[in-house]
Amino acid sequence: MSHLTDLPAWAAIPVCILLLLGSGITLIGSLGLIRLKTFYGRLHAPTLGASAGIILICLASMITFAVLQNRWIVHEILIIVFVVVTTPVTLMLLGQSALYRDRIEENDGVPRKAAGQQTDTTGMDI
Amino acid sequence: MLLILVLAPFAGSLAAICIPTQKGTAAAWLAGSIALLCLVISAGLYTVISSGTPLRYDAAWLPELGLNLTLRMDGFAWMFASLVAAIGLLVVIYARYYMSASDPVPRFFALFLAFMGAMLGVVLSGNLILLAIFWELTSIISFLLIGYWHHNANARDGARMALTVTGTGGLCMFVGLMLIGHIVGSYDLDVVLSSGNVIRDHPLYTTVLILILLGVLTKSAQFPFHFWLPHAMAAPTPVSAYLHSATLVKAGVFLLTRLWPVMAGTDEWFWIVGLAGLTTLLLGAYFAIFQQDLKGLLAYSTISHLGLITVLLSLGSPLAAVAAIFHTMNHATFKASLFMAAGIIDHETGTRDMRRLSGLFRYMPITATLAMVASASMAGVPLLNGFLSKEMFFAEAIETHKYNILDTLTPYVATIASMFAVTYSIRFIHSVFFGPPPQDLPKVPHEPPHWMLAPIYFLVFSCLVVGVIPALTIGPFLHTAVQSVLGIATPVYSLAVWHGWNLPLFMSLIALVCGVGLFLVMKPYLTTSIEGPPFFRRLEGQRIFERVLVTLSWKWARSIEMRAGTRRLQPQMRILVAVALVAAAVTLLLQGFKPAAIAFRSIDPAFALIWLIGMICAIGAAYQAKFHRLAALVLLGGAGLVTCLTFVWLSAPDLAATQLLVEIVTTVLILLGLRWLPKRIENPDDPELMTISTRLRRLRDLATAVFAGIGMMLISYTVMTRELPETISSYFLERAYSEGGGTNVVNVILVDFRGFDTLGEIAVLCIVALTVFALLLRFRPATESLETPEQQRVQNAFDDDHPDRKKGDSIAEYLLVPSVIMRWMFPVIGMLAAFLFFRGHDLPGGGFAAGIAMSIAFILQYMAGGTRWVEERLRIHPLRWMAIGLLVATATGLGSWLFGYPFLTSHAQYASLPVLGKIPLATAILFDLGVFALVLGATVLILIALAHQSVRAPRAQMRAAKMAAKENA
Repeated sequence: MSHLTDLPAWAAIPVCILLLLGSGITLIGSLGLIRLKTFYGRLHAPTLGASAGIILICLASMITFAVLQNRWIVHEILIIVFVVVTTPVTLMLLGQSALYRDRIEENDGVPRKAAGQQTDTTGMDI
Repeated sequence: MLLILVLAPFAGSLAAICIPTQKGTAAAWLAGSIALLCLVISAGLYTVISSGTPLRYDAAWLPELGLNLTLRMDGFAWMFASLVAAIGLLVVIYARYYMSASDPVPRFFALFLAFMGAMLGVVLSGNLILLAIFWELTSIISFLLIGYWHHNANARDGARMALTVTGTGGLCMFVGLMLIGHIVGSYDLDVVLSSGNVIRDHPLYTTVLILILLGVLTKSAQFPFHFWLPHAMAAPTPVSAYLHSATLVKAGVFLLTRLWPVMAGTDEWFWIVGLAGLTTLLLGAYFAIFQQDLKGLLAYSTISHLGLITVLLSLGSPLAAVAAIFHTMNHATFKASLFMAAGIIDHETGTRDMRRLSGLFRYMPITATLAMVASASMAGVPLLNGFLSKEMFFAEAIETHKYNILDTLTPYVATIASMFAVTYSIRFIHSVFFGPPPQDLPKVPHEPPHWMLAPIYFLVFSCLVVGVIPALTIGPFLHTAVQSVLGIATPVYSLAVWHGWNLPLFMSLIALVCGVGLFLVMKPYLTTSIEGPPFFRRLEGQRIFERVLVTLSWKWARSIEMRAGTRRLQPQMRILVAVALVAAAVTLLLQGFKPAAIAFRSIDPAFALIWLIGMICAIGAAYQAKFHRLAALVLLGGAGLVTCLTFVWLSAPDLAATQLLVEIVTTVLILLGLRWLPKRIENPDDPELMTISTRLRRLRDLATAVFAGIGMMLISYTVMTRELPETISSYFLERAYSEGGGTNVVNVILVDFRGFDTLGEIAVLCIVALTVFALLLRFRPATESLETPEQQRVQNAFDDDHPDRKKGDSIAEYLLVPSVIMRWMFPVIGMLAAFLFFRGHDLPGGGFAAGIAMSIAFILQYMAGGTRWVEERLRIHPLRWMAIGLLVATATGLGSWLFGYPFLTSHAQYASLPVLGKIPLATAILFDLGVFALVLGATVLILIALAHQSVRAPRAQMRAAKMAAKENA
């Protein structure tokens, strides 16, 4: 869009590279979400976008507007921090509930809790 | 002066209501002095009035609608106003001694004064609409007065009946008066009175007549609406004395006389009014004979006498109108005194039943004498005022006005009714005051306090004086009143007592003699008979009325509710959508609506892709809504995100930010609500469930949805592709900074230019939140979702099994990391909200967005720690927040008044603070603060309503278990 054309070449090139890298990584993560077979596998895929992808894209944004407005732009750091802090919480909750469900339904391929932590004699630990 | 006359009673009423309940005497003094003031004012105005020109007071109220505060006093109004004030004064004196100290006496006098004010308003209003307003006021206040002893079921029923009947009539009359205003082109009474021919010749005349007569006849208790009056006897006697003599029921006659010059004289008038009047005259008198209740007898006699006045007015001759006005006054005097006497008897003996009363003359000779004179006047005995107007009535009855059967019948009916009047008058006196001494009365009778008798003295004295020397006493006043009604048509009439041996006198004599004879014949029957007249006893108006009421308000309402109503949400929604669809389609097709041609041009592929995703999400959400609610909700979130992106794409950051926040809150709230929905059907494709009717129903719903959707799309597309007309958006853009002091135009519009809209909107939000809260408070979830979810049960069981664990430990362990993060987010989100709030005036953000952001912080806390945890630690008072928000916003708006600017004018200034530098400070930010607090409160209130459901649910569960146990047992 229009901002890119205003950007001097020395800044435009790293911005483009960062953007492409970031969106590429996010795309890979999204593809993984579709392609991976099990839920636990899938759980990992979108983290690519939520970590590396977001960092790279935010960096690109920082450079762009810092150059354009000729001042330090730090808002994006906040974005990075919050996304990096909060996304794992979601994934953790998802993972835990999936595990919980699988254990209740006694599905195959679900690890039991480690022997030391086991508190339930039936083995159906929760 | 006129204004004081009307307003003084109302002001006195307000003052009286403030008097403490025990200070009954103070209230009486107040009421008495107000009544005296009114009397003095109207007496003072007589010299002005008697010259013949009406006195007017005009104040513009809604001049555009022809509604002005016009008060107008001519001779007739003067006569009525004086009557109202004078009898009011007497009744106040009487009531001071009648009301017992245990009653809330100030309330009585407050109502009494208000009623007097309303009645004076009716009499004095010079504008038809104003008249209707005061008319309704008399209905309402009489309702309160009749129901004064509201612990008594009879009083409540009587009051309700009076209100229903007179209120309905009043409504009809209001329509009639508006029609008159339409015909004449003005609501001003002077204009109306001078355009009688226009009204009489208008095609709507009959309609107007019937409507107005409905009002008049119900108010004056004319047949067939007479039945409410006897039941209104449950009121305290001073009220009855006042309502029956000078006020409530006379209001109908008053209006009839008032409109007499413009409406009377036609055949319709003669037939309707005459028939109603004659029937009432006869039936009222007949019923009165058979009453055993003293006040009941007087009530029916009132009905009969009003019938007499109505008949006189129906005749359409000026002389009859004179008689009507004269009789109105006479009736007021003797009836008020009779009611007071009946009240004294009731007060001193404890009963009003004529079968139990007898021989009271030896206990209260003064009362007895006074009552005898008054009832002689009621019976039409010569040398009393009742005789004079009755003679005039007879004279008019003999006179032939129209050649039809009704007119021919009138003299006979009049004589018979008069005969009945003699009978019930004698009965009243004889059964109460003569005969053997009474047995086992509740109290030992004796004369009442002297002041209680004083009003009766006065009234009876005036009966006598008017009866003996009419021309010298009432003559001039009557003349003024008559002249103001009849104008140049005022006939020559004579008020002499003796007109020689003529037919009316013979009729009187016949009535007197036959009346006495009838009484002697019926005496044995009457002393033992039950309440009510023979033959008609079963045909009780009240019962018919009750039956009609029950049918209307209960049976029919129920059946309509049964047929047209449903408690299920789905049919309601279906009907709503279908009606909207049909309404829109019909109007658009009739107007020749052509949807704009859909053109695909300059589509940005990326944008189109986003929209494709959004559409897929939306359709997916609809598809999954029934059988997989969670998936539908997730998809809904997707569609919402696309909307957000669209706003960003189209450069509407404010909308985008708000939309995003709203999206979050709604999704979370719906998620919380999902738990309480009934369980989904496990196997939707079960062939047993998929009957043909199910398929058809689904097909119909699908069709409705598709059509509604396509219709919406077509309409919005057509609207959006239109050429933009000249709008005021450019104005807003230009003035946002110079006048609103902000660079964020959206926010400036919200809090400044359109501040009033926003105020209304947040008020609506407030109401919505309260409604949701109220609904959820009464919400009882489906039985299958009542019990604790499986997970919780398993976890709780696990915790219970292990002695070292407390309930809730498992869930706390699972949520350890998330809850820590969520708790830490609280200050951060708070900061974000503050940021959004303060930048709002210049950059995207604002009170609304900030409020929602802040509420997200609260939602997170509830999710992380649970309801109880949060509420132990945070003081959450959404209702107070909402109230504060609304108050702050309103107060900000009001603040501009202090500086002499219109409501919600804002003032912008930059303030320099240390550290932060220059920050914009408009008064609008205070307004925005109100918005913030209200939005926060509303959202959190809904959240709490949902959250508390789970706290409440265990209790409901326990109840359900108990019920089940009971059933099993």
